[in-house]
Order: sequence, then C-alpha cells, then structure tokens
Amino acid sequence: MIAALARTTIGRAVRAVLVLWFLLPLVPILLWAFANRWPFPDLLPQQWGLDGVRSGLDAGAPNAFVVSAALGLAVAAIATPAGALAARALASGRLPLPRVIEAVLFAPLILPAFAVALGLDVLVLRTGVPSPLAVVAVLSVAAIPYTTYLMRVAFGAYDKGFEEEARTLGASRATVLVRVHIPLLAPALSGAAFLAFLVGWTDYVVTLLIGGGRVVSVPILVASFAAGTGNSSVVAALSMAAVIPPLILLTVVARTGRST
Amino acid sequence: MSTRLELRGLTRHHRDQHVPALNRLDLDVNAGRCLALLGPSGSGKSTALRLIAGLDAPTRGTVLLDGDDVTGAPAEQRGIGMVFQRPLLFPHLSVIDNVAFAARAAGMSRRDSRAASQRYLELVQLGDYADRSVADISGGQAQRVALARSLAAEPKVLLLDEPFSALDSALRADMYALLRAIRDALNPTIVLVTHDQSEAAAVAEEIAVLIDGVLEHHSDVRTAYVRPSTLAVHRLMGGLNEIPGRVAAGVHHSELGAQVLPVDISAPDGPATLVIRQEVVRLVEPSASSITGTIESLQSAGIRQRAHIQVGSSSVFAELPPQISFAVGTRVGLDLPTGALHAISTDSNASRVFQE
Amino acid sequence: MSWRAALWVLPALLPVATILLAGLGSALLQSLGLMPLVGAPELTIEAYRMNTGDLATSAALSLAIATAATLIGVVVGVTTALTAVTGRRFALWAGTLTVPVPHLIGAATMGLLLADSGLLARLFGLSEGGWPALVGGRWWIAVVLEYAWKESAFIALVVAAVLATRVAAYDDTAAVLGASRRARLRLVTFPLIRPAVVAAATISFTYTLGSYEVALLLGRVYPEPLPVLAIRLFTSVELATRPQAAAAAVVTAVLALLAVAGALMMLRRSAVWR
Repeated sequence: MIAALARTTIGRAVRAVLVLWFLLPLVPILLWAFANRWPFPDLLPQQWGLDGVRSGLDAGAPNAFVVSAALGLAVAAIATPAGALAARALASGRLPLPRVIEAVLFAPLILPAFAVALGLDVLVLRTGVPSPLAVVAVLSVAAIPYTTYLMRVAFGAYDKGFEEEARTLGASRATVLVRVHIPLLAPALSGAAFLAFLVGWTDYVVTLLIGGGRVVSVPILVASFAAGTGNSSVVAALSMAAVIPPLILLTVVARTGRST
Repeated sequence: MSTRLELRGLTRHHRDQHVPALNRLDLDVNAGRCLALLGPSGSGKSTALRLIAGLDAPTRGTVLLDGDDVTGAPAEQRGIGMVFQRPLLFPHLSVIDNVAFAARAAGMSRRDSRAASQRYLELVQLGDYADRSVADISGGQAQRVALARSLAAEPKVLLLDEPFSALDSALRADMYALLRAIRDALNPTIVLVTHDQSEAAAVAEEIAVLIDGVLEHHSDVRTAYVRPSTLAVHRLMGGLNEIPGRVAAGVHHSELGAQVLPVDISAPDGPATLVIRQEVVRLVEPSASSITGTIESLQSAGIRQRAHIQVGSSSVFAELPPQISFAVGTRVGLDLPTGALHAISTDSNASRVFQE
Repeated sequence: MSWRAALWVLPALLPVATILLAGLGSALLQSLGLMPLVGAPELTIEAYRMNTGDLATSAALSLAIATAATLIGVVVGVTTALTAVTGRRFALWAGTLTVPVPHLIGAATMGLLLADSGLLARLFGLSEGGWPALVGGRWWIAVVLEYAWKESAFIALVVAAVLATRVAAYDDTAAVLGASRRARLRLVTFPLIRPAVVAAATISFTYTLGSYEVALLLGRVYPEPLPVLAIRLFTSVELATRPQAAAAAVVTAVLALLAVAGALMMLRRSAVWR
C-alpha cells in the first residue's frame, strides 16, 4: 500500500519536473514579448507594452510571416504527395531493391542539411535557378523522410479489405479513391502535411545559405535581431509569431486525427 | 498448484458505463478442479478472468485464494497465471527464455532459470525447441510454449482465456489431451473461459454460465446439459427443444400432451417450458398412446442426422443415430424418456432454479 | 517485382537522390579543389591540411556537444514516454508543444532564460558573477540544453508511439508471470523499445552534429563547432576559404555517416528490429 502511494507521489513529482523542463523555456518569450522595460535584476517587467510587437511589425514581420507561410505550404504541397506515393510503393512490397530505396529516402534525416546547402549554393548560382525555388526544393527533400515514414505506417495499418468490399459493392476505382482511400488516410495525410509544413516554416540554415539574403523568413528575421543586444522584446515578439501559427495548426491536425 | 479459489460478489463497472460488465459473481472452485466459464461474447467472462488475475480492479467484491483475500494485491503478487487467446511470446527472447521468464523475474540466473524450465517445456512436448526463436514456431506450438511459460511460474490458479479458439479442430483435440496430461502431472486449479460448450465438456468437470454479466448456472457438466437453469443456458449448451406449456402437480401440459416430470426437479406450478436434449429423443412407430408428428426436415449434423418433427404447432428435434434413415413427411412417434425431461419456469415472478 | 511500383516511388526518390548527390558531391569536389571559383580545377587536399588543427578541434567539439545532448535527450525522452503509459499524459503533451518551435527560436528563448541577465538568474536573485556562464561559457551548457530540450520531445514521441502499440500487451503478460514493475521495465519494456530509442537517438545525434543556429546564438567565438566553422569560412570575403568550408562540411557528413553505421551495428544485434 505504501509502495503504491510512493509510486504515485514519485510519479507525480517526475511528471511535474518534466512539464517544467518542457514549458519553462517558453516562458521568457511570453514575458519579453510584452515588456517595454525590464531592467536587470527585476523579476517581472517594469512596464508592459507593445513596443516589441511594434518594432517587429516595422522590421518586416508581416512580410517574413508570408514568406515563412509560403515556404511551409510549398514544402507541404510537394513533400506530402511524393511521400504518400513512395510509401504506397514501399507498402506494396513489389519494389526492386526496397532496402536501397528506403536508405536513399531516409538519408536526408541523417545528413547535415548545411553541408548539402553549402555544396548546392554554387550550382544554384551557376545554373541560374531562382533562390526561392532552390530553397523549396532542398527543404522538400528534407521533409520527404517524415512524410514517407508517416504514410508508410498508415499504409501498413490500412486494410485492403475496405477497398475490396467497396468494389464488390459496385464502386469504381475513382469512387474507391475518393470515398474510401482518402477518408481512411486523411488523419495520416494531415499529420504528414503538418510535419512537412514545419520543416519549411522552421528552417534557418538552408534559407540562409541558398536564399542568399533575399528570402527573409521569420527565423531569418529573428536571427538578425537576436545576434545583437538590447533587442530582447523584439526577438520575443517575433518568436511568438514564429511559434503560434504552427501550434494552432497542431491542434487542428490533432483534432482531425482524433475524429476518425 | 492446488488452491481453492473463491469469488464473492465480484462486480465491475467499466468507465462511465451504467450497466455492469460483471454483476455480483459468487463462485467457488475447489483445489485441483477445472471449471469452464461459458457464455456468449460480451457476457463478462474475460472481465471476470482479468479481475481474478488482478489486471483490473473490481468495483466491488473480493477474490480469495485458500481463504486469503487477494483483492488488493497487484497481479504480479497474486501467483495467478493466465494464458491469453494470443500466445504473446516475448519476441526478444528464445523459446526457453520465454518459459524461464518467471524465474528470471524472481532473480534466478539465466542458466539456472533455463535448467529449471526445461521440464515444463518437455511437459508440453516441445523439449527440443528450447533454443528456437519465437518467430520460427507455428501458432499451435506458440500456444503450447505460452502454456509452459505460465506453468513454470507455478501459479496457485491457472486461468485460460479462450486459449484454443485460434487453433484448428485437430490441434484443439491435441491441446485437450495436453491439458489432461498437465492436470495429471501438476493437479492445478483451472478456470477455462470458452464460448464452445463442447470444449467445456471435453476439458472441465464443472460448468458456470455467464450471461450479460450474471451467473445463470453452475453445476457439473452433465447437469448443465440435462438440467439447465434457464432457457438461455439451455440454448448456450446447444439444446434445441423448447415446448411452452404449464406445470401442475409435477406434470407438464403442452401440445405434446401430459408429461410426468422427474421427482427430483420439483418444478413449481405455473407456466413453464419443457426442455429435453435432442440426443435422447427417440423415434418409434406411431401409435395411439405415443406423441405423433410428421418429419418436417432432415439436416446433417456431422455423421448423424437431425430431424425436425412437427407436432401440431410445436417443433421437436431429435438426433438420429447413423444407421437409421427416414424420409421427409413420414409420420413418427416420439419417445421422451422421463428421466431426461426438465421444466424451466417462465413465470416472471418465480425465482430461478439453480442446481449446485 | 513490379516496375509500376517503381514509378510511384520516383517523385520522391529522384529529387532526394539528385539534391543529395549534387549538394554533397559539389561540396566534396570543392573541398578537393576540383570546383574552384576561379582558376583551373586541380586535385588537392590542401583544404583539409591547412586547417587540420581547427578541423580536429571543431570535430571533437561537435561530437562532444552531440553526445551530451543526445544522452540527456534519451534519458528525459524515455522517462517522459514511460510516464505517459499509465494514461496521465501531461508530460508528453508538454513535450508535444515544443515540437513546432524552431531551433532558432529555441536558442533565442534559451538565451533569454539562461543568460547572465536571463530569467533564471533573476529568479535566483544572483547578480553579475554569481550566475554561471551558461551562455557563451566554457562548457557550452546552454547549447547542449537547447538541443537536449528539443531532442527529448522527439524521442519521447517516438518511444510513446512504440509503447502504445507494441508493448502494452506484453506488460500484462509479464505481470501475471510474477514480474514486479522494475523487472518488467528491465526484462520487457526496455528490450522492446531499444530499436526505436536507437533510431531516434541517431537521428537526433546527427541533427545536432550538423546544426548551426543554436551554436551561433548560444555558443562562444572559439572553438567553433563544425557547421559554424564551415559557414564562417563560406561567407568570408576571402575566396580562398571556400574549399576549406567545403572540407568542414564533408567532415561533418562523414561523421554523421559513421554514427549511423555504428547505430546499425547496434540494431543488428537486436532480434526485435523488423
């Protein structure tokens, strides 16, 4: 009996420490974003206000927001179907050299992105490919392992029986695709699209190296302020802009996943 | 391994469910006996096993082993073994290491635990498979290893949750024989959950029937067939004959006429259904003194035939021995041996008749 | 075997293969002098030799940071996943919230938290000199903590998924065989999650190895981890440093591949890997 009590008390303590570990680092963003004046060593801002937010807006936050969103959406639009098709092929078990193909598809996970971008930059300049396009291409490649993996798991759990049943009920191939396949796979698809979006939204190094200073995403903008001093409230305000949209998307995706 | 198991008022409500999955189960299993827990899907049989094993906590009630209350003890401390429908052999351990798991968990060294477990592997006739990987054995072999693994833990009570339902009938017959050999060697107390009444009869001495979470019958095997407590139990045991009517002074009156009921039944007066096993109904030459009817249809049931005889608006089923054949439409007489008759009261106010 | 199936895999396979080969191939060629910005290509390992000292120090630093961060990430991540098994998933949910946070933002906020004038320093009431140099200090503590922070959430989610699907049934089985909670962890849970932990840890390790922005914001000027070295040389005004930058990039890629090879050897010994 005492052992069980100790277990739950220790369990509760451990859980509390873990929650602190994950959430404490996010607190400074919340505080600094709305702090006009916060001299050391005060525990809380002396003056709350929207100066940081205003500076962020002046510095081009709306543009950066659009750029980041475009990057995220473009990467999601490319990497999700590519990953889904590849996962379907992998799940069919009829691929030649499946292990090799898997190794290539998952290689971007373990190879340093900056090295690829660094090497590619010269080629991009020489071939005249527009930098935003090149950035999207490299980031899509970085996202493909995630989308392929998620869809592979979904196809593994997918029961062909649903499809076969629909066809014996007279549904054409197209109908089967639209009314059976896609609804069953929708949660996995939205999850994969979300991860791909994140890859595009959160990237810094590839945008920096290949974007050549012309692609100003939110992380690029934050970095330019974070490198200096005294910009804490701008940095925090911009960070909130970087974190809140994906969080909103995350709740939407989680709800899609649960509703099926 | 022979321990007396007692369940007192065992009740379980699943989360937010108003109707209990198990409702005040009172059951005793004597040391060394084998009880089959029978019931349709969703009747609460698996729930009952999980409560006995300690994997779930009851909403109310107690579990006693040799008189000791173990209701508060977690599963790992109860000494109650359980074999599930799927073998669930640990994929990262070899066959012998699976059987040796309980010993390892208790702190024995790898070598000692393997040596101690070898005899249990031999008991299930897989002595040569010790070093095999679990991926390399068949389903039937895996289930036998799971059985050996539970026995090696030397449990006080062994619970079997539909362990043979995934096996084909030939394998299942082998498993019944194996179970008999295990009982001869170790004399464990066993509770076997099954939805198949013939399996219950083949393996166990006692049958308890759960329907919708309520215990409706508990007796030895023969009584469960011949004297079921309720119509639901009768049907579950495969009985086909149900003749509605009334009981008055130990005689059942129906379309089949007046049937004198056996003295030991003591059926109360009032509306009651007459039941008799189709296996004991005999067909005879129709005469003035016998019940007469017409053969409506003949269905094969294995090598035997099942005859559906229409008597007025009532149906009587008889199972015919293989050497006798009849034609559909023949008028026949029915002989219902008195000792095999049973009447189940259908009066909603009457209490159920239990046979212990 | 069907070549139609091969067609389905091309939209993903072609871009990945092309970009990886082009990018890393170009980096390799540049480092070997075969793709100079000016002049004729000439095979040489000057880029590696000129900088060997710096390359070695940077490699050692990168490996040390990645190892420390991954170790902490594994411990915290596995613990988080285990706490979620019993149905009280607060810790796992908190971890999930950190997933959409970009590493750059993570570095910024860790700076705001751990700097000399950061939130923690104010909480503990320690003024100048009293608070240890976590940011830009000798031990790269803030850098390691940021990587560990993000990695632990990733590892937690991967392990929690495995626990939910594969391990649940085996835990009951082990319990009715008499195994205590500690024995179940040791004999059943840990062996079954090991492949997933190794895979997630390897991905985290190689990511940290090649990560730039965190070391840039929270680290010190010297020594530099490999990515910081590479990009500094790449963006410098001197064109002669381009091959050296490429060399640093190639070294990072090689280290990552070696780490993966090591992980595969670890996995091969496990019977559970399917």
